[in-house]
Amino acid sequence: MDTPRNIPVTILTGFLGSGKTTLLNRVLKEEHGKRIAVIENEFGEVGIDQALVINADEEIFEMSNGCICCTVRGDLIRVLGNLMKRRDKFDYVLVETTGLADPGPVAQTFFMDDEIRAEFALDGIVTLVDAAHIEQQLGRSDESTEQIAFADVLVLNKTDLVDDDALDSLEARLRDMNRMARVIRSERADVSVDTVLNLNAFDLDQVLERRPTFLEPEYPFEWTGVYALDVGRYELSLDDGPDPAMSLVVVPGQGTDDPALRESAELCVRRYAEPADLIRPGDEMPVGKHLNLQLDSPGRKSFFLEVDTPERVGLYAQHTAEEFDLRLTSANGATSGAEDGPRAEPATPAESGAPHVNGAVPVEVERTWVAQHEHDDEVGSIAIEREGDVDPDRLNEWLGELLREHGVDIFRMKGFISVAGESRRFVFQGVHMLFDGQPDRPWGDAPRRNQLIFIGRNLPERSMRQGFEACLV
Amino acid sequence: MSGLNGDAPAGVLRSGWSARVGDYAIAGGWTLRGEALVVGDAAGGVYAFEGKSGAAIWAQRGVHEGGVLAMAIHPNRPAFATAGQDGRVLVWSAAEGRVTLAVDVGSDWVENVAWSPDGRWLAASCSRQVHAYGTDGVRVWRSDDHPSTVSAIAWSGTEELATACYGRVTFFDASTGKPRQKLEWIGSLVSMVLSPDGDIVACGSQDNSVHFWRRSTEQDSEMSGYPGKPSALAFDDTGTLLATGGGEAVTVWSFQGRGPEGTQPGVLEHHAEAVTTLAFARRGMRLASGGRDGGVVVWSLGRDGQGDAIGAAPVADVVGALYWRPDGRALAALDAQGGATVWRVGD
Repeated sequence: MDTPRNIPVTILTGFLGSGKTTLLNRVLKEEHGKRIAVIENEFGEVGIDQALVINADEEIFEMSNGCICCTVRGDLIRVLGNLMKRRDKFDYVLVETTGLADPGPVAQTFFMDDEIRAEFALDGIVTLVDAAHIEQQLGRSDESTEQIAFADVLVLNKTDLVDDDALDSLEARLRDMNRMARVIRSERADVSVDTVLNLNAFDLDQVLERRPTFLEPEYPFEWTGVYALDVGRYELSLDDGPDPAMSLVVVPGQGTDDPALRESAELCVRRYAEPADLIRPGDEMPVGKHLNLQLDSPGRKSFFLEVDTPERVGLYAQHTAEEFDLRLTSANGATSGAEDGPRAEPATPAESGAPHVNGAVPVEVERTWVAQHEHDDEVGSIAIEREGDVDPDRLNEWLGELLREHGVDIFRMKGFISVAGESRRFVFQGVHMLFDGQPDRPWGDAPRRNQLIFIGRNLPERSMRQGFEACLV
Repeated sequence: MSGLNGDAPAGVLRSGWSARVGDYAIAGGWTLRGEALVVGDAAGGVYAFEGKSGAAIWAQRGVHEGGVLAMAIHPNRPAFATAGQDGRVLVWSAAEGRVTLAVDVGSDWVENVAWSPDGRWLAASCSRQVHAYGTDGVRVWRSDDHPSTVSAIAWSGTEELATACYGRVTFFDASTGKPRQKLEWIGSLVSMVLSPDGDIVACGSQDNSVHFWRRSTEQDSEMSGYPGKPSALAFDDTGTLLATGGGEAVTVWSFQGRGPEGTQPGVLEHHAEAVTTLAFARRGMRLASGGRDGGVVVWSLGRDGQGDAIGAAPVADVVGALYWRPDGRALAALDAQGGATVWRVGD
């Protein structure tokens, strides 16, 4: 479906009043050198001479097998089928859906119908959002949620009607639902044409180029501090903070470079999934376990750590050190809770010039992680990024099962796979159960890795991550 | 079938003539006994060529704004009707290229047009409705809205019109427009063909199957397993064979005996890409098929649906439509580049 001769198609969705027609007219006016065919499902006021405007009723055709993923838009097949007979005359097709349209069948049409697939390429889905009303709409209708979930570009329109704080929180909510989409703010749909046309949005490279971090996974912890510790006893103290408890994993033998931090992060994700040991002030902290520090008593609270051999220790904490004024200090000779026994002076690294108080051990390396947070919406994004090669048979089996069980709830997916023994990247994309993949350019010198993103409703993130993990060679 | 793959016509197909119209040749037909071949194109032009030589008789460009969508040859007069994106049906005199009647059907595309077998009625579909007109162009009746845009229409006899749309085939009384029979099935019916006696109605479906009903018993069956959607369908003149596209092969079902249920169809393989159009000659179990590969093949079939290619020829692009001259001695192909190619057909 990506052969160069295929005519690109942009789908424009958004609730009534979100500004679709305004945007459409702007595109047609600016792209006056091109012949654009517009298929409208909603009565609009498109009035540009060189565009061919075709009004067609939305016709949703379900198949006899009852599979919603096979549902297509009959009107598009009919109209595009006729338009392609005059293909020399069109450079681009824009489909403007009704406000209540489910984008699924629209997108599926470009996967399901062989003739449409042979002539057209879905370039991208642009969803207009009325900044002043979307919050209400999201509460009331599945369609608006799905229009956001399906989008490659979200145009947050009518921003002049909403204050900045509300806009920021709205944008954060939209990003939560769809991490793949680019969010653009506008007042009167005054966005530049190249933000909505020729997006190649079904090409993940383009998406990554624009937003290289969108695949960054989320972690159940926000902060890691690495400390170089000598043999001895240490006190971890925390002041009052935003929560009455905080989870923590103490990782022994922690390295300081990024791969080492990430490796432990993966380990800690698994630890965090296990039930936590409740640790009260004054308690010892076992290493390598999911701990839940009880912080509900007022004032500074201390927890203790015994180190048997000199090594670096990583603290993977649910919150940043700053939020609780977290400090690690040598407890050798300290009064609180210290037991008698062999003692050594804390080996304060000489090279560290960081100021520290009362025998505080300076942090050698610290970093923060993209924190998981509570998702209010059922719709969300799951990004998987892993190095290594994938066994194609296991991947097939895993994806097959995932799509069978959750295809209805998966709105969009795209990704690259590093298939074992294959010199080229495998690129895939899909809508619901429909999956389209092929080998792409060679990896060359680029690091081989896997990047996948799924946008869907109530997707089983943990089992999806585990499932993909099991596909690695 | 060696020798059928070259650039020259082979087997029963012999060189005839070729001509060009302005854009993708959408629809056409032979008038009466084959005096002229008329063609409508995607730019809305209508053209007539002398049947024997291919010499242009007349041409009217840009008549239907947006393009021609359908054409119907009058059964007993030298006339034909065209339908287009401009929402109109035009009736033409074949000899002079004069529009004798212009009918405004609606504001949407008119995608189907058909004369009743006796020429008394002209039916046209526009969006979700079908309209019937008398010979004077006055509308006799108009249907209620169908569940979707009407995808195909056909006369099952002089007094009854059939329509296909999403989920339903409907039969209308020609005089009153009252629905006589509704056959329902969940699926998008993209094409329809009736057996000559009007008893069997077969539809190609978007989900890559062919669904058919025997009207007398209301018994229905489904043929599935097609790799693509069967938009090309044709019944032979005796009502024995149903030829279907839906892939690179032509699949032929035989209705003789208790068939086609429980029988193996004839699978005719020659096209390198999907079959786009099928046409039976009026007599003698000869089938012509055209494909996306630009190939035209003539097949000789037995009553069991099995058969062999007996002629083949290439055209410049995707074959849009095939028309046998009524005497079966010539075959016309319309293609995506606006070519009209006619071969003489031997025995």
